[in-house]
Parts: sequence; C-alpha cells; structure tokens
Amino acid sequence: MMKSAALAGKYRAFVVERWPGLSRNLVVGLTLALVTLPQAVAFSVTLAGVPPHFGIYAAIWGVLFCSLLNPSRVFHGGPNTAMSTSIGVTLLPTAPPFGAEYMGLALTLGLMAGLIQLMFYLVRPLGRMLDLISEPVINGMICGIGLILIFRSLTTFAGLPLNTEVEWPLWIAWQSFLAMLEIGNIYAIQIGLITLLTCVVVQEFEPLRNWAILFGIAAGTLYSQYLNATLGLQNTLIEQIGNLSSVGFLLPSLPLFNQESMPDVISILPGALTLALLGLFQTVAAMRRMSRKVGGFTDSRKAIFSDAVSNCLLPFLSSLPTCASFNRMWLVNKLGIHSRIAIASSALWLLLLVVFLAKAIAVIPMPAMAGIIVLLGANMINWEDIKPHLQSRHEATVFMASFLSVLFLDLFEAVLVGSALAIAYSKWQQAHPDISLRGNVLKIRGNIYYGSLPVIESMYHNALARTEEVVIDFSECYYIDREGIRWLAALKAGQKAAFVDRRTGRDRRDVAVGAQQRPGDTSVLDTNRRRQDRRRRTDI
Amino acid sequence: MSTLAERLIKLLLLAIACGGLYLLATYEHSQREAIRHAEVSLTPACTEKLARYGLESGEVYQSPYVLQRTGAKVTARGYSDDDVRAIQRGCNIIDDTQGRLASDPDRERWNTRRFIRGSHTACRHCHQSIGDKQDAAGNRLVGSLNLGASWAMADMYDRFTGLLLPFELRQMQCYINSSNGYKPNIADDVIRDVTSYSRFLSAALDMKIGNRYDEQGIDEIPASATPKQGDDYVRGEALYKHKCASCHGPQAFGVVDAEGHLVAPAIAGPNAWNMQSRNYFYYVSTILPGFICRNMPLGKENTLPNQECRDIAYYLSNLPRPAGDRQGPVVALVQQILMKVLPPLLRMSGSARGDEPRPGPEQGR
Repeated sequence: MMKSAALAGKYRAFVVERWPGLSRNLVVGLTLALVTLPQAVAFSVTLAGVPPHFGIYAAIWGVLFCSLLNPSRVFHGGPNTAMSTSIGVTLLPTAPPFGAEYMGLALTLGLMAGLIQLMFYLVRPLGRMLDLISEPVINGMICGIGLILIFRSLTTFAGLPLNTEVEWPLWIAWQSFLAMLEIGNIYAIQIGLITLLTCVVVQEFEPLRNWAILFGIAAGTLYSQYLNATLGLQNTLIEQIGNLSSVGFLLPSLPLFNQESMPDVISILPGALTLALLGLFQTVAAMRRMSRKVGGFTDSRKAIFSDAVSNCLLPFLSSLPTCASFNRMWLVNKLGIHSRIAIASSALWLLLLVVFLAKAIAVIPMPAMAGIIVLLGANMINWEDIKPHLQSRHEATVFMASFLSVLFLDLFEAVLVGSALAIAYSKWQQAHPDISLRGNVLKIRGNIYYGSLPVIESMYHNALARTEEVVIDFSECYYIDREGIRWLAALKAGQKAAFVDRRTGRDRRDVAVGAQQRPGDTSVLDTNRRRQDRRRRTDI
Repeated sequence: MSTLAERLIKLLLLAIACGGLYLLATYEHSQREAIRHAEVSLTPACTEKLARYGLESGEVYQSPYVLQRTGAKVTARGYSDDDVRAIQRGCNIIDDTQGRLASDPDRERWNTRRFIRGSHTACRHCHQSIGDKQDAAGNRLVGSLNLGASWAMADMYDRFTGLLLPFELRQMQCYINSSNGYKPNIADDVIRDVTSYSRFLSAALDMKIGNRYDEQGIDEIPASATPKQGDDYVRGEALYKHKCASCHGPQAFGVVDAEGHLVAPAIAGPNAWNMQSRNYFYYVSTILPGFICRNMPLGKENTLPNQECRDIAYYLSNLPRPAGDRQGPVVALVQQILMKVLPPLLRMSGSARGDEPRPGPEQGR
C-alpha cells in the first residue's frame, strides 16, 4: 500500500516536471474538442453532403496527424467551412449526396487534393508562392471569416434550417437575421443567449477563463434539459447534437477509383485543385499569423508537408480533408495555452467523447453551440490587429479588399484579390525610387531596374536640360538589373554623366583590412563582394 | 477599480444588447402571430377559385369539382380555421405575389417582395389561373404547371438535378431563378402557405401521391417535335416583333402603364427570369417553347406551330437578362452592363423602334 502510494507520488512528480500544466492542457483540449464537435457535424452534413462521421473523424485523425507532423504550437487542423463547402459544390453534379458513390467520390477528391498538396511540398518554388500572402490580406480574411461565422450561426442560433446553397453571403446573413427575429424558435434563442452570456461573464473571472466555454455549454444544456422536461421536446423543438453512438473507434475506407467512375473522377479534378489550394492558403496564412502572435516561427513548408501527408492518409479513414482552422486557432491563442499536447489531447478527448459518452453529448443543444461560435467570430474581429493596417493607405486598401472579398466573393478569391493588390503595391513602390536633384547631383534611393528606369530617365533628362554634366549618386541603390547597367554604360559612353558611389570604396577598404588582419579568414561573402565591385567597375 | 467598472459596463452593455435582441424577437413573433390569426382579404380571382372548390373549415372536405366531374363523393380530412387562412394566404401569394391588391403588401404577403428582384414577377405568370389552368369545359390542361399536381408529384426525383427535392425546396428554385431573387428560409410562412394552397388544390382535384399527372410541369417541345429546320434567331426576332412585342414591348422588357399597373411582364431585362432558370433556352431548350405554344398569345393559345415557339424562345434567350447566382460576379457584371447599354443603343439604331408592330395578315387585326 505504502509502496503504491510512493509510486503514485513519484509518477505525479515525474508528470508535473515533464509536462508542467498538464491539467490546463487537458482543459484546453476538452474545450477545443467540444467546440470542434458541432462544427464537424454541421460541416459534413450541411456543407459537404456526407454523414457526420466524416467530419468527426477529420476532427479526430486530422487534428492528431497535424499535431504530430506540424511543429507549430498553435496549429489546429480538422474540418473546415470553406473546404467542406467546396466539396459539396464540386460533387453535387456527379452523384446524389449521402449515397455510396458520392461518399466514395468525396474520399477520392480528398486524396487528389492531398496529392496536389504533396506536389506543392516537393516543388519548392510552388510552396514558396504561398508565402506571398501578406499580413493585411490575412487579417482582412480573419475579420471577414469572423463576420461570416456570426452570420452563418444565426440560423442555428434561432433553431432554423440553414440556407446552404451558394448565394450572396451578406444577403443570406441579413435574411437569416430577419428570419431569426420573425420565425426563430424562441426557446432556441433563449438557450443561445444564456450560453453566450454565461461564457462572457465567466471569462471575466481570471481563474475560470479557460473553463468559460465549457461553463457556457453546460448552462445552455441544463436550461434546454429544463425546458424539455417541463414543456416536452415535441413542443420546444430544440435541435440537439443527436446520437453519435454509431461512430466507432476507426472506420477504414477506400476512395472510389474504378473504370465506371473515371469520367466523374476526371470531372472533379479542377475541384481537387481548388480544394488543395484552399487548404494550403488557409494553413499557411493562419499559421503564420498565429505563430507571429505568440512570438514563434514555423516554416510554412513543414505545414504544407503535414497537411499533404494528412490529406493523403485521411481518405482511408472515412474522413474529410483537413486544414488550419482560423477560429479554433484563435481560440487556442485566446486560451493562452500554446502546446501541441493541448491540441493532440483535443483529438483524444473527442475520440473518448464520441466512443464512450455518445449518449451524454447527444443532449447538447445546437443553439448553445451556435452561441459559442458567435462568440468566437466576434473575438476574431480584433481592433488591435486592424489598427496598424489603417495607418497606411496601401495596407488599408489591401486589408479592405481582402475583407470585402471574403464577404462578397469567397475565401479563395479573397486570397487572390488581396495578394494581387499587395504584390502590385510593392512592385509600384519599387518602380518609384526616391530621386532627388541637388545642383547637378541626381541621388537615387531604391532600385534601378526595368520598372524604375523610365522614372529615373525622365529625371535625368530634366536635369540634363539645365546643366552640362549630371552626377549620378547611387550610394543608396540596392539593386541594378542588366537593363539598368546597359543604360548606365550608355550614359558613360555619352560623356555627359559622372557616377558617384560613396559606399563602394569604403566597403572595399573594410574588406581589405579584414583580409589583412585574418589572412586565412576571407569568407565566400567577401570574395563575392569584391568580385561584384570589380564587375561593377568594369561594366561602368 | 477602473478596470472593474469597465468590465461591469461591458457586461451591462452586452446584457442590454442581448435583452434588446430578445425583446425585438418576441415583438416580431407576436406580429407574425397576429397576421396568422387575422382575417384574410382575398383577391377577386382567389375568392372565385376557392369558393368554386368549396373551401371552408370543417371535419371533412368534399370537392365540388370532383363531384361535378365524376359524380363520386370523395371525402378527405377537413380543414381547421388556421388551415383555411393559410390556404387563402397561399392563394393570394400565387395570384398577387407583389401585393398590388393588398392594403399592406408586406404584411399580407409575408414580405414576398423581399425575396424577389424586380417589380414584375408573380407566380401566376407561369402557374396560370393561380396554378390551376382549365379550359372552358373545366378540363385540366396538359403541361399547365398545375400546383396541385406539383405537390402530389414532389416526391419524385427531379429530372434535371437527379435530386429528390421536397416541394418546399422546389419553391426555392422559383425564388432564386424564375424570379431572380433570394431564398426564403424553408421554415418561413411564405413557403408553408404556398404549400398549404398547393396541397389543397391536389385535394380539390383529387390528385394522389404516387401518381403521375400530365398537368404537372410543361408540355415540352424538343427539336424532334419540329420539322427539323433548326432553331433560327432571325426568324424568332421577326416572329417576336410580329406577335409578342405589342404586349411585352419592343425589347421584351415588359410594359407598365402610366399608373404603374403591369400590362405584360418582362421576359428579358432586369425584371425577367435569370440565366439559370429552366426558362432560359440555353439551359433547357424545351421548356420555354412549350410554355409559349400552350399559353401564348393570350386568347389565341395553341395557335403557334412548334417551330415558331422554338424560334421565339431562342430569340428571347439571346436578349440580355440577369445572371444566375452561381455564375459568378463577372457574368453578373457583364449582364448588368448589357441590360443598361443595349436598350438605348437599339433604340438609337432603330432596330427596336417598332413600338407599334404592323399587324400581320393572319392576325386579322
């Protein structure tokens, strides 16, 4: 007896030493599991057109694979709104939803997307392209997604059926709001509001902060059970998560890939490309944003690898594809626990809940879940993150473009519009170097390349109209392309321009001094620089 | 202390917002409930139709129409007062979708205008005679888009999408494409009342689930039902100017009189159905010709040969009209620009100046 107590004490000490705050990790994991569960059910049934276990397995195995393969401490994978919608839209013309053929094709679609993602990992420049999404684009997307989450939850919040077809999202939002007021289930609205208020109030007490969502769900569930007991479920008509006891530990599956299905498989190839890109864009963008927020860094190639491998495996486990979830990663950040243990534990919690407590979670009312999602959406719109972007006109434009594109178009187009604008702006800035003319000295700060050359030429000819000889000072030039070099050489040949580069000589001297002091220590960098200097001299 | 005060104020504001939302919802609910229990003022056509079919509350319902046609006394379960009001409102919505005959259109028609773009569309434009078109002898007509038949046959697979669409979801297609609008929520009264009316029609006409009725849908005209000359845009344009433009206007954008009353609905332009509607010739080429042949011109139905109906439908579908909701912003923008730019250009060029078309010899005018 004594021995076992001592052993238990030792074990506890070992655990505490090894994983400090394990219990906090587990609480965060449980919160994440409970938040993911209704999303998994809703995304698979209403958006992708497949049975709920597809979403649940994505929330279990997708999250687990990502937490094992992705070194980021804030990355939470699992089912995703945009990906699920894209699956539904792609497969609708091929087969009736919920049928065997449809489910098989959904798995094939996921597998093809995974293979395309793997290609993005193997071909390095393709993966690097994904890094061109700038921070204002990501923040604009996050704010847009936050609003869309609120709008989308309104119907569930009011116990109404969801409008699922593709239509103008803002109009659906307004209509859902009016429908909530006019025909919403008043009991559902009460449950949603109680959940929301409980959550916000509990959040204000520091020691209970991580428990807030669980408290909110508990309050909503208790109130709904009270209503059902006094009025009867047939009168309250409150939608509940429902019995998931048929969902087991593991359900192996095979993607549909035979001769008859070939035409369909080929017809969904463009959909697979969209799905792959949609996943990668969100993964790279969300991970970069959240890692930066917690002061870390994870190479996006690692995230691409983890997404690609997970998505190649998940179709064999009856699961929807996975990618980063903005709202759940935001929750991880909000709860203040950044660890892969918390994230992996959310998958295990969900597995335990579904396998052992299916009957208990069956009574959780959907309006309570919708209340939680409204809160998450509201938290994603954070003024502190938006403010810096509004201080520069360029960033504000990019931010607004990507924000409005999420609302008016969709996620994919938002990424394209925002990134195209951001790249155009940076190119525009490079093409307009800062040129000043003092006396007969033309000083260029910036790049001399084909884009900026017309601007520089115009200034040069203006100066030439006033003086005999112009001195071009490119001490603060960072880069000259071959076209620029040819132009400068032509100027030199014309005998009307002199060149000054105050930096070059000093640099050269420094390098020479360094080389003399440490004779064996001339680095490759120094050699290269010397060679470049020489080339610049001879070219000019 | 200040942070505590700030927190309290924040919580108070949130509580006020949630409470306000809840109060607003209960107020709106009470308004809806009041309309549900209010007496319905029927349109003249609905008064006549529902009286003819003997709609009143009671334990059992016997259709006078069936009794008169077959001599059989078919009894069905009767209607409560709530049912009768729902059926009456449904009939009103089909007959007068935009609420022109109502004193308070939005209240009396469950805000149907919220779900429709443009000011012309009404359900009865396609579902003629309030969804129950009959000839003078009271025979129901083949392919007359009968709503009772649609309700009875709604459990069949949709021929175009292969989906099993409930009657409520079929109404959504009307809202999105035929009226180029938005979907109401499926639980909305506007959907439920139209379903009630359609279901009543099926009882009045003694239509049973599981049977196939020729009154449902359109009497479609495929290319194989013509002499196979090929559909011709130019012939269609000449026919349109000759036979249709006098009512629907030179550019088919519909005609509204000086007092704002609709004379003939738009069949192209911003008030018409969109490019994803099955009326659109390029999407389904058999439906619009079928509708034209069986229902147009008014008073001279069934006089146009099949080929002419196909030509006119082909021409109409080349006129600018709104893009469907899944065709993306670019197509939508192009169509909007075309609808703005083309009419003045055509007027200037004179190709659509024929406001008063010359009567043809066969029209005998």
